[in-house]
Amino acid sequence: MTAAGVTVAGVTVAGALRFLLPAGACAVLLLLPRLTANEYLFALGVSFATFSVLAGGLNLVYGYTGLLSFAQVGFFGIGAYAAALLVTEQQWPFLAAVAAAGAIATVAGLVIGYSSLRLSRHAFAIVTLSFALLCMIVARDWVSLTRGAMGIPGLPAPVLNLPAGLSWRIASPADFHWLMTIFAIAANALIYLVMTSRLGRAMRAIRQNEALARSQGINPLAYRLLALGLSALLAGLAGGLFVFYLTIVDPSVFDFYYTETMLIMVIIGGAGSFWGVLVSTAVLTVVPDLLRFSTDLRMVLYGVILIIVMLVFPGGIGGWLRKRGVARWRSVRVAKS
Amino acid sequence: MSAAPLLEVRGLTKRYLGLTALDSLSYSVEPGAVVGIIGPNGSGKSTNVDCISGFQGADAGHWFLDGVELTGLPAHRIAQTGLVRSFQNVQAYDEMTLLENLCVARQEIDGIGWWATLARSARLREGEAAAEARGRELLALVGLAEFAQAPAAILSYGQRKLLAIAACLMARPKLIILDEPVAGVNPTMIRHIAQVIRKLNAEGIALIIIEHNVDFVMSLCRRVIVIEAGRKIADASPAVVRADPRVLAAYLGRAGAAEAQGAHG
Repeated sequence: MTAAGVTVAGVTVAGALRFLLPAGACAVLLLLPRLTANEYLFALGVSFATFSVLAGGLNLVYGYTGLLSFAQVGFFGIGAYAAALLVTEQQWPFLAAVAAAGAIATVAGLVIGYSSLRLSRHAFAIVTLSFALLCMIVARDWVSLTRGAMGIPGLPAPVLNLPAGLSWRIASPADFHWLMTIFAIAANALIYLVMTSRLGRAMRAIRQNEALARSQGINPLAYRLLALGLSALLAGLAGGLFVFYLTIVDPSVFDFYYTETMLIMVIIGGAGSFWGVLVSTAVLTVVPDLLRFSTDLRMVLYGVILIIVMLVFPGGIGGWLRKRGVARWRSVRVAKS
Repeated sequence: MSAAPLLEVRGLTKRYLGLTALDSLSYSVEPGAVVGIIGPNGSGKSTNVDCISGFQGADAGHWFLDGVELTGLPAHRIAQTGLVRSFQNVQAYDEMTLLENLCVARQEIDGIGWWATLARSARLREGEAAAEARGRELLALVGLAEFAQAPAAILSYGQRKLLAIAACLMARPKLIILDEPVAGVNPTMIRHIAQVIRKLNAEGIALIIIEHNVDFVMSLCRRVIVIEAGRKIADASPAVVRADPRVLAAYLGRAGAAEAQGAHG
């Protein structure tokens, strides 16, 4: 019996850790502004929260349904622009603007998916890449709507109207840390729920063997649209919230930097592994920042890390763990025969 | 043969550019029957399966399962109506456990929707518990029970064929089409697979078996359909089919057929 198999009062140590580690991490993140006044940590917290949602959504699309998508940054940026424009030009309340941002991004995701998934996985990758580039071009050149390269600066601090007449003006870095952390916990919980339900099981089936899945009554298009729609919704909401933290949105929100960061988080964490991707997101948010890399140098570092991972752990952290499981069963089978 | 057929195929035709792979093929399968479909390489056996299971579009023809027209439906819809198939090159979800492999094969037919799934409703829990129980039962039936929690990647070729048969059964199908269930499998495993098929048929499940292994088909089926160049050339009991000169000619060539008949006579 391994250490993880030890049972205390009917609860395995592994089972307890599985609950306590995430709960503890959430508690630390939520209490951070009570533990420190270090604004740098809040900035890291906002960055981690945002990327955990973007990478988590990408993991659902790529790791679960097997579709390489470059569109996440497009949904993120569409959400950012939609929320910014609705608040500044239409005077929409904060929450309504963010909800609309999510809805618009979802529609964009479904339209892209429905039109390109009838072709092939490769066509899908190309269409999503084109979509992300197109978003940036539209943001830059449709000046009458987006104000072009100038962007939309000076977004007001959002105000959340809470029940019982309270209101929360989200202005300080600590406020944004809270806002994004609460959103990220809810979004990741939803992603986790989908992944671990049989919806996620059907998605994994589609990635591993599409023909077999179809022969068992699974409609690949429906599940892929579900994954894509959900990831677009969450990315759109994340963009709609994050833009108020930046207080400005300009075409650089569609930068390829975001796409590469998300992709590397998913690949290193192991496509298809919820916890693996979450851990790699945390590490890749904190480490480059600690080492004070400039954005350009960081891209070089990412490239190097990606090559090393491809050589040493082709399946990422999650894939490595899975392989160990297969090896263990192989030895069981050999021992029995 | 007065009972309404379970599967009825009428005038199924499939052309690839100049080649006619299926030429107005018609046949029917009675409820509870085990029907073999044999034929030389390239005769259209597998094209036939791919067409009626929705994996390839047919150029002409209609087919019905239990009176419901399946013509032109996508593969997943055909599977949901109760016609399931296995594949020639055995297929499994390698990264999933055997039990997951089976449970996933049932989830689209128990009528529990996405919302009920996300809400983890009582109906979902019951449905999944039932699927798991059925999965364990089937793993025991095919002799893979001890690997229920192992990933499918560890299975041998023959074991994968058994897993594929078990997966077909998960959906409680009306008709199973097994595409080459024993190709490349050792004799012990062939006997085991034959046993499993007999057990299934005893439970009332109708099967179509597409095979190259003529002895295997003849031993299991009371009716054999022979296809050559996309046309049905025989449809009778194994004994009659064995003696049919057209079948012999198709398999052995005309000279060989004459020789074989000479040997018999």
